[in-house]
Amino acid sequence: MQKAIQENPKVKHTLERINGAARVGIWELDLNTNLYDTDNITCDILDLHINQKLTLNDCYILSKYKYAGEEMSLLMSNLINKGVEFDTEIEFVTQLGNIIWARKIGLADVEDGIVKRVYGIFQDVTSIKETERELQSTNSELSSIINSSAVAIVSINRDNNIKHFNSGAEKLLGYTAKEAIASLDPQSLLLPEQVYDFKLDLAKLYNKNPDKIQPFKELAKQNKSDTREWTFRKKNGDLVPVELSLTPLKNEEDKHLGILGIFYDITDRKKAESELIQKNQILNYAEQITMMGNWRWDMITADIYWSDNMYSIFGRDREKDDVVFDTYFNYIHPEDRDKVNNFITKTVNDKKFTDVLHRIVLDNGSVRTVHLLGELVLDDFGEPTHMIGTCQDVTQLRMAEIKFRGLLESAPDAMIIVDENGIIQISNKQTQKLFGYTSLELDKKPVELLIPEKFMHTYETNNNNFFTTAKYNGLEKSEEFYGVNNKGEKIPIQINLSPLETEEGLLISVAIRDITEQKQAEYKILKSKERLEVLTDNLLNKNRQLADFAHITSHNLRAPVSNLNSLLGFYNTSEDEEDKAVLFEKFEIVVGHLTETLDTLVEALKTSNGAPTELKKLKFEDALLKTTEILTGEIHETGAIIKSDFTNVPAILYSKVYLESIFLNLVSNALKYRSPDRTPEITLKSFLVRNRVTLTVEDNGLGIDLERHGHKLFGLNKVFHRHPQAKGIGLFMTKVQIESLGGIITAESTVNKGTTFILTLN
Amino acid sequence: MTNHFNVCIIDDDDIYQFTIVKTIKALDLAKKIMVFSDGEQALNFMLDNLKNNYDLPDVIFLDNNMPIMDGFQFMEEYTKVKPQIDKKITVYMVSSSVDPVDIERANSVAEINGYIIKPIKPGQLKSIIESLEV
Repeated sequence: MQKAIQENPKVKHTLERINGAARVGIWELDLNTNLYDTDNITCDILDLHINQKLTLNDCYILSKYKYAGEEMSLLMSNLINKGVEFDTEIEFVTQLGNIIWARKIGLADVEDGIVKRVYGIFQDVTSIKETERELQSTNSELSSIINSSAVAIVSINRDNNIKHFNSGAEKLLGYTAKEAIASLDPQSLLLPEQVYDFKLDLAKLYNKNPDKIQPFKELAKQNKSDTREWTFRKKNGDLVPVELSLTPLKNEEDKHLGILGIFYDITDRKKAESELIQKNQILNYAEQITMMGNWRWDMITADIYWSDNMYSIFGRDREKDDVVFDTYFNYIHPEDRDKVNNFITKTVNDKKFTDVLHRIVLDNGSVRTVHLLGELVLDDFGEPTHMIGTCQDVTQLRMAEIKFRGLLESAPDAMIIVDENGIIQISNKQTQKLFGYTSLELDKKPVELLIPEKFMHTYETNNNNFFTTAKYNGLEKSEEFYGVNNKGEKIPIQINLSPLETEEGLLISVAIRDITEQKQAEYKILKSKERLEVLTDNLLNKNRQLADFAHITSHNLRAPVSNLNSLLGFYNTSEDEEDKAVLFEKFEIVVGHLTETLDTLVEALKTSNGAPTELKKLKFEDALLKTTEILTGEIHETGAIIKSDFTNVPAILYSKVYLESIFLNLVSNALKYRSPDRTPEITLKSFLVRNRVTLTVEDNGLGIDLERHGHKLFGLNKVFHRHPQAKGIGLFMTKVQIESLGGIITAESTVNKGTTFILTLN
Repeated sequence: MTNHFNVCIIDDDDIYQFTIVKTIKALDLAKKIMVFSDGEQALNFMLDNLKNNYDLPDVIFLDNNMPIMDGFQFMEEYTKVKPQIDKKITVYMVSSSVDPVDIERANSVAEINGYIIKPIKPGQLKSIIESLEV
């Protein structure tokens, strides 16, 4: 053949053209030189220069893999030495680095057992090889899909016989492929009602008569696939939900061959779905109860999602009204719009959603208050992509709060509400007015800031005693305390505590009343009362003095006057000179008494009508000394012992004349009314009683029956003893003097034991 | 006849004693005149003569304002002993006091028959003593 080709140029040319198209080259190895003789095509395949000669070895080197080169080397040596021909495919790396697949056929001419010539064909099969490889991988992918147990695949031919039943189907349905293919009616897997629904569905879709339609054939006819959920009956009778994709099978001529069903178990999905639905229902229910809706705002696509209850809060119909970004904002109360806008801007800037309370105006004009709460969803770069959140209709809560607030604010008192630890929760405006703090300054502060005294000590020390008592008895505690305002000034206050039981624990409402005015009024009243008492005392004093003077005029003045009248009567009728002389003596006595009485009265009037102008610091010791000097005679005569103790209060601011007169009167009285059985002993002491200088003069004399005479002890001309010197002037004057300087004199006495005069001097 | 009565004067005022005794004597109004300077002395006399109707006074002119035992105190004591005395004794309180309080007080004591304001005029004294006889 070779010869013929060489010899016939026409044939040769034709062959060369065919070879070029099929990229088939020829080669021959010079057995003497071991050099390859290659044609143009072979050279082209291996990226050789024309006329470049390859050696036998070069051929090994060009092989991509060493083992392939060795194999080629073995094939070639067998060909050269034994004439064993070969036909192989091998991967080469060309001189330019291209990787090619080549088919090398080795032929040998053998004569008498000796190889005379070695030649062959060299074909580029790279593209064929690639196609082959792709096909192979596709095949293996397909078969792995078909044999996968995750997906069930069943094919049915036109005659409704199962032709293919993969392991996934086996696992899902419980039939073996063998029994399915042999005897399973595909219809028995389906539920009749679902088949009926499917039929109706397709009839509607393709406008066919539902009674006549053959749904599976119709799919093929329409060349449509169908994916939907079905319920399959397993071999053991159990039902299993599946998602089934039906694809008609056709041959190249569009001829209906059957149908391919791919399906998988969606039990878990169904379960999750039903759980989701259930949860959604619960959520909806919860939202309805709490008047709360939820929403989602995709900040990139500006899509808005509202939950069902969100629609009902805003009085919208989900079916009819679409929501867009502006929908929400259009509902916001005009007065609250800026507030909400600022809030949203702040939220986006801070990337932190807090909460905002605002009003909305519904289509029917009603105003509601909603509480918006949410969260920002950020992407990987920390940029917000979504906002999600809730929106609660808190109108009623808000109303209750407003009412409560109103109640709190309308209270005339400062009201604060504190928790069990005395931390301020709420305060009203009156509190802020009274104490000068703002409500923010008071919020969460201890109540001691306002009322430093522990007015809740009762419960603190007694293990909630106050609360328990207050709770059970409904007691209200009202006590007076001092509050402190922000300037540190004390304010007299009255506090009313009452417990409030709430879900968050026990709270105490504290009503604080400013009683400054009350206190001032109280103080004024007290002062007035004191003044009134002083006035009453003064008036009583004056009255007593007036009574004293009335008494004095009745007795001490009228008596001598009536005596004078009587004497005058005698005198006028008397003719006897001797009688007249006697009468005249009597006149003198009466006139003497009268003069004395008048003098005493004038002095007493002077004394009690005004305090002497001059008050001096006087030592008691000096006054006593002067008294004893005056009374030297009597003291000496009676052997009286005079003791004194003025160490506690040695001196007093007093009128000198009065003090000396008082001392003289009391000491001389004590001497005058001494007991004849005892040596007179007079003791004088000074001390303080309730901050008032008190002087006592004690004697061991006759004593006075105070029960009988007490009321006239200090009266004018009252005497209690048949004593020649008793005139009843001393004590009267002493009393007048002491009282004129605001003092008091009293006496204690026991008959025949002694008398003690107690003088409160100032 | 008006001179068969025992007249008792209880008064600490010397001048008064002098004038009344002189007046009674001058008008011859008493069988006997007893003079005491305070209530205690008079009471002591009464106690000493509880059954001695002869010496007990028929009429007492009692001053109020006296030391030791004043007129009212005397009346208190007298009231206590009166049941033991079997003699009608008329008591007049004689005082220089025109104080309504004193007069009221005297009137409230049942045993006091009247209140006479000093000085007693001779005619007044006479008519009082004459009225005793009736």
